[in-house]
Amino acid sequence: MNTPVISSLRPPKVLSPVVLAAGLAIALLIVGEIVSPGFAGHGQIVNMLRVSAFLGIIAIGQTIVIISGGEGIDLSVGKVATFAAIIGSRVMDGDNTKLLPALTLALTVAAAIGLCNGLGITYLRIPPFVMTLGMIGVVQGLILAYTSGQAHGRAAPFLTSLVNGKVIFDLPGLLFLWLLLAVAVTWMLRRTTYGWQLFAVGANRVSARLSGIPVRRTVILAYVLSSVFAGLAGILLLGYTESVFLDLADQYMLPSIAAAVIGGTLLAGGIGGYAGTAIGAVVLTVLQSLLITLEISAAGRTVINGLVLIVLLSLYGRQRRLRT
Amino acid sequence: MALLEMNGVRKRFGGVLALDDASLSAAGGEVHALLGPNGSGKSTLNKTLTGVVVPDRASITIDGSPVAIHGPRDAHAHGVAAVYQQLSVVDDLTVTQNVVLGLEPTRRLGLLDRRAARTVAAEVLTRFSPAFAGSVPYDAAVGALSPGEQQIVEICKALARRPRILVLDEATASLHKEQVHVLFEVVRELRDSGVLVVFTSHRMDEVFALCDQATVLRNGRTVGTIALADATEDQLVHMMVGDVERREEARRSHASDRTVLQVRGLTTQRLRDVSFSVAQGEVLGLGGLQGQGQSDLLLAMFGAAKIHAGEVLYDGVPLPLTSPVKAARAGVALVPGDRGRQGMFAVRPIQENLSIASMHRRATARLALSQRAERRAARGIVERLNIVIGGLADRISTLSGGNQQKVVIGKWLLNEPRVVLLDDPTKGIDITAKEEVYAIIRELADSGAAVVFNSSDNRELLEMSDRVLVLFEGGVVDELTDAQVTEEDLVASALRLEAGETL
Repeated sequence: MNTPVISSLRPPKVLSPVVLAAGLAIALLIVGEIVSPGFAGHGQIVNMLRVSAFLGIIAIGQTIVIISGGEGIDLSVGKVATFAAIIGSRVMDGDNTKLLPALTLALTVAAAIGLCNGLGITYLRIPPFVMTLGMIGVVQGLILAYTSGQAHGRAAPFLTSLVNGKVIFDLPGLLFLWLLLAVAVTWMLRRTTYGWQLFAVGANRVSARLSGIPVRRTVILAYVLSSVFAGLAGILLLGYTESVFLDLADQYMLPSIAAAVIGGTLLAGGIGGYAGTAIGAVVLTVLQSLLITLEISAAGRTVINGLVLIVLLSLYGRQRRLRT
Repeated sequence: MALLEMNGVRKRFGGVLALDDASLSAAGGEVHALLGPNGSGKSTLNKTLTGVVVPDRASITIDGSPVAIHGPRDAHAHGVAAVYQQLSVVDDLTVTQNVVLGLEPTRRLGLLDRRAARTVAAEVLTRFSPAFAGSVPYDAAVGALSPGEQQIVEICKALARRPRILVLDEATASLHKEQVHVLFEVVRELRDSGVLVVFTSHRMDEVFALCDQATVLRNGRTVGTIALADATEDQLVHMMVGDVERREEARRSHASDRTVLQVRGLTTQRLRDVSFSVAQGEVLGLGGLQGQGQSDLLLAMFGAAKIHAGEVLYDGVPLPLTSPVKAARAGVALVPGDRGRQGMFAVRPIQENLSIASMHRRATARLALSQRAERRAARGIVERLNIVIGGLADRISTLSGGNQQKVVIGKWLLNEPRVVLLDDPTKGIDITAKEEVYAIIRELADSGAAVVFNSSDNRELLEMSDRVLVLFEGGVVDELTDAQVTEEDLVASALRLEAGETL
C-alpha cells in the first residue's frame, strides 16, 4: 500500500465542528433575542446554561464511550441517572450529613452497572447497542424493586443550594462544577495515557492490541465512567427538582448522544473531544428554549430537533473526507 | 497515437504536494510500467486516472478527446478499471457474486439472473483456474480464500468490466509465483487485444518480465519514459532515485555467540512444533513462500495467538506470551505485516502514533503525560529515523507509506525492545525508505536486540539476515546458514525442490 490517504484537517476553509456548533449556539441566541426580546438576557442565559449542565455532564460519559469505538454507545445513561437520583434521594432524605453516603452509594451502584455493560461488551462480545439497551430494562426492574413503585426522600439542602443557589458572580455552583468536570475530562482525554489509549482503541482496535494496549480494560473503563457521570448528573438533577420521580432523567438518553455528535465526536470512534460535546449540550438546550418561546408544539419541537441534527451531521460529513 | 495522455497533473494533500506537473503518455496494446519511489506520487497519478483522487489540475485525453474524471464512475464510463493491493472484495459474498458485483445481469422485473451471472464470472475466472490450485471455487465465500486468491478475485472483478485501460497497482504483492505467472499470461493476452495495462510493482523482475515501456516519477514529477527492452535495472533505479549515491553496504554480522532467545516446540493453530534460537545481535530471517506461517510465528511470539504448546525463553526465562500487553511489557516489539490494519492509527496524529507503546514509561504515575516529554521523544525518533513529516499534530495518514512504516517502527524503538519481530517491514515502500529500514534493523541488532525478520523479498532477506529459516506449512523445513547462499538456493528450498521431498 502506498496510498497518500486523503484526510487532513488542514485546508483553511474547513471549520471544526466545535466552532460550527458554537456559532450555531450564538446564532440561535440572536434569533431568540430578535423574536422575543429578553431571550438572551443574563438571567435567561444563566438558566439555559444550568439546564445544559445536566445534559452536558451525562454526555461526558457518552462522549468517552463513543470515542472508544467498536460501535460504542451507551443507551442506559438516562436510566442510570434516574436510578442514582432515586438511591440518592432515599439515602440522603433531606439531610446534609447523609449527602456523602448517598453520593457514594449512588455512584457505586452506577459504576457496577457500567462494569456489567463493559464486561458484557468485551468478554461476551454483545454489541454495545444491545447490551446497553438491555441494561435499561434491568435497571428499570431494579428501580421498581428498590422503590416498590413509589420514590422516597428528597434532596439535601446543600445539594439544592449548590444547583439552584448563587455562589459566585451571581452564578449557580452547578456551572462551576460543570466547568471543573469539563477541564478534568479534557485533561484526561488529552493528557493522560488512558485518554490516548482510548483514542487509539477507537481508531483501530487491531493496531491497539498489537501496540500492547489493554483494549478490553480500556473499553470497560469507558463504560464504567459513562455510568458514573450519568449517576452524578442524576444526583445533580435531584438537587434541581428536590424530589425524585421514577423517570426523572430517562429522556436524556438521545440528547446525550446528539450533544456528543454535534460537538464533532465521530460515531465510528477515535475522534472527538469534550469541548464540542459541552457546546453541543448548550446548542440543544438553547434550541429547545427557542422552540418553546416560539410556542411550537412538542411534536414540532421533536421534528425540528431531528432536522437540526441531520443538517449538522451532513455539514460535518461534507467537511471530513475520510477515506481510511 | 497515444490511447492515454495525462498532462500537467497537480495534486496537493494538506501540506504535501503529491503531484506537481506529472504526465503519462501510453498507447493501446502495451503494458506500461509506472515506477518511482513511494513519495513519488505514482499511486496518486494512478488514482487520478481511476477517479479515486480528484486532481487540483490536470488535462487528460483518452483516444485524443479530452475527458473529465471526477469519480470512479467517470473512469468506468471511459473504460478504465483498476486493481489495488488493498482489496475491495466483499468477504461474505461468493467468488461469482464478487466478480459480477455492480454488473449483475438481470431478468425482467430486475430479478437477478444467476445463470447469466455465473457465465459472466466464469468467462474471466476460468482463465485463472491454475491460480486457484486448478479449480475455481465459484461458490465459496471470498473471506474463506487465501489473500492471494482474494487478490485474483479482485483482478477478475476488474476484468469483468472489459476495460480498455487496466490499472494494476501493486496487484501482485500478495500473489505467489504461480499466480503471478497466470496473471502475466492474461495481461499479455489483453495487451495483444489492444488494451493498455498500467502496471505498478516494486518487484523489478516483474516489471522487466512484463512491461514494454516505463514512465518514472520522482517527487511528484515525471522524469521520463523509457523502453524497457533497452533499459537496465541500474538505469531505472538511477532515474527513480536521482543522483544520490547508492549505499552498497556489505553484510556484516555483529551476532555474538550468546544465545538469548530460544523458541521451543511452539505450536499454534497455524504452527507446528517450531524450534530455533537467536543470538544477541543476530538478525534471523524467515523465508519460504509467503503465507507458510511466518506471520503466525511472529504473532505468536508477540502473544497475539493462542499457543497450544511450546514456549519462548529469553535468557532462559520464559516470556509471558498470553497477551500482547504482557509481551510488550517484557520487551518484545512487533512491526506487523499490514501497516494500515494492524500497525497504525490512521485518524490520529503522528505524535500519538509514536507515543502509544511507550508513553507509560514517561508518564507520571503511569497516567499523567507531559506534552513536552512526549514531543521530545517523538522528535527524537523523527530525526533518528529521518521521517519526513509536516508536524507532529498531523494525522499519520497524511504521510507516504515509507514514512508511515517508519512511524510504526519508531513507536517500538521508544520502548527499547530486547526482541524485535518484523513482518515484511519493507512491503510497498520505496527504495530510499527500504534502505533506511535496513539501516534501522542493523542498528537494532548491533545494539544487542534479537531480531526476527520476515520478508517476501528474497534478495533483502539474504542481504539482511545472518541466518534464514525456511518455513513450509507452519513448520521449519530448512535453515540456511552459509554466507554464500544464493537466491536460487532460497527459492529451491522454499519450494521444497530438494530430492526426496514430497510436496
